[in-house]
Amino acid sequence: MAWVEVATIDECPPGRVHMVDLGGREVGIFNEEGKYYAVLNHCPHKGAPICRGRVVGRVVCDAEQRVTYDHEAKTLRCPWHHWEFDLESGKALVPISERIKVFPVMVRDGMVLIHT
Amino acid sequence: MQLVDCDVHHGGPSKDQFVEHLEEPYRSEVAERGLRVLRSGSRFEDGGNRWDASASSPKAVREQLLDRYGHQYALLTGSYGPIAGIPDPEYAAAICRAYNAYTAEHWLTADSRYLMAIKVPMQDSQFAAAEIERWAGHPQVKAVSFWGGAERIPFGQRYYWPIYEAACRHQLPIHVHPATTATIASGATSAAGQVTNYLQMHVCLPQFYQAHLISLVLEGVFERFPELRFAFVEGGFGWVPHVVWRMDKEYKGLRQQAPVLRRLPSEYVRDHVKLTTQPIEEPHKARHLIELIDMMGGPEMLMYASDFPHWDFDPPNVLPKRLGEDALKRIHYTNAMEFFGLDSSRLGAVNQGGF
Repeated sequence: MAWVEVATIDECPPGRVHMVDLGGREVGIFNEEGKYYAVLNHCPHKGAPICRGRVVGRVVCDAEQRVTYDHEAKTLRCPWHHWEFDLESGKALVPISERIKVFPVMVRDGMVLIHT
Repeated sequence: MQLVDCDVHHGGPSKDQFVEHLEEPYRSEVAERGLRVLRSGSRFEDGGNRWDASASSPKAVREQLLDRYGHQYALLTGSYGPIAGIPDPEYAAAICRAYNAYTAEHWLTADSRYLMAIKVPMQDSQFAAAEIERWAGHPQVKAVSFWGGAERIPFGQRYYWPIYEAACRHQLPIHVHPATTATIASGATSAAGQVTNYLQMHVCLPQFYQAHLISLVLEGVFERFPELRFAFVEGGFGWVPHVVWRMDKEYKGLRQQAPVLRRLPSEYVRDHVKLTTQPIEEPHKARHLIELIDMMGGPEMLMYASDFPHWDFDPPNVLPKRLGEDALKRIHYTNAMEFFGLDSSRLGAVNQGGF
């Protein structure tokens, strides 16, 4: 378990995913408005390359059943079956136990590091 | 043996009894011209009633059903389904008021084992809610009766919410029964359109229940009305595992179209929905029925119904003994006692019969 340099910030432009190889495991580095996320490229549902999915916000509902859209809560949707996962925690947005593998990320000296 | 029967079609009212209980201007209309007629166009006489049975009076049903099988309770579901397809809500509301008054006066007073499901005009949700208020609190009124076919609007949508508010206010579950005649007025006797006869229509009834259940769950009705409960009657139950699995699967990808939900669709079905047994599926291998019940969530999901005196009547012994005593007791008795909030203090006092 250690911090590992995986990319330069120039390789990770906003709104894109940059794929890196982490000892044989594919990891996608996402840059969403300057905040970085690292996700294992594997959907727990059927094994899809989830980093080819879309990063979006999410439809949310409050206790009074008022429905709106949260642009801030970053959500990764799988390209195959469109399951939604919270980019921060890796948890699915529906109440199931499956989750994506996310790694802690930090930026230091122009480098993106992830914790494995 | 303890028994609650969730579907007993009591007879009447006659035209004169309708007239007696109707308000003007419908009292005069029906007296002069009879009830408004809605026919299915299908020949259903091969179905209809059992040829050896009659539900024409409280005494007839008592002798042929309650005393014979030992019913603790029988929920009266009547026989005037066509009202659900009459387009005039004022008239439908008047007919429902008269029908309920007839049932209360002629049947509930005749035997304390008879229970009533309030007939409501599906054509107007405000009128329907008012009819619930009229009867709630009566000790033998234990449900709200919906006719479930191809409706103008599926049951999950906002139109019905005044009805659900009233039902929840009085802890009354919704009892959904097919209205095969009324479905003609909605332009569909199956999900595929107009089938040619009663046989096909009757086989297709679960299609409507599937659509209504999907609507209820995925619109989030059970989040909005946490006390609301539904019983789907006479539509089989073999379809439940399929629909529940499909809802859960597709919800996982399309959650944003059901944002009110906080749990998986299957969990709402388990906690808010029951199905009745009749007409019970009869697979070639009896063990498949037991597996089916297990797949749909176990015997907790089911309640017994006879559908007396209709042609597809099921006596209580249609359930496979291999289910075991505990499961049979749940299905025959306990689930319905809990679901309808029935009084068990007089158990055994009325049980004259056996299977």
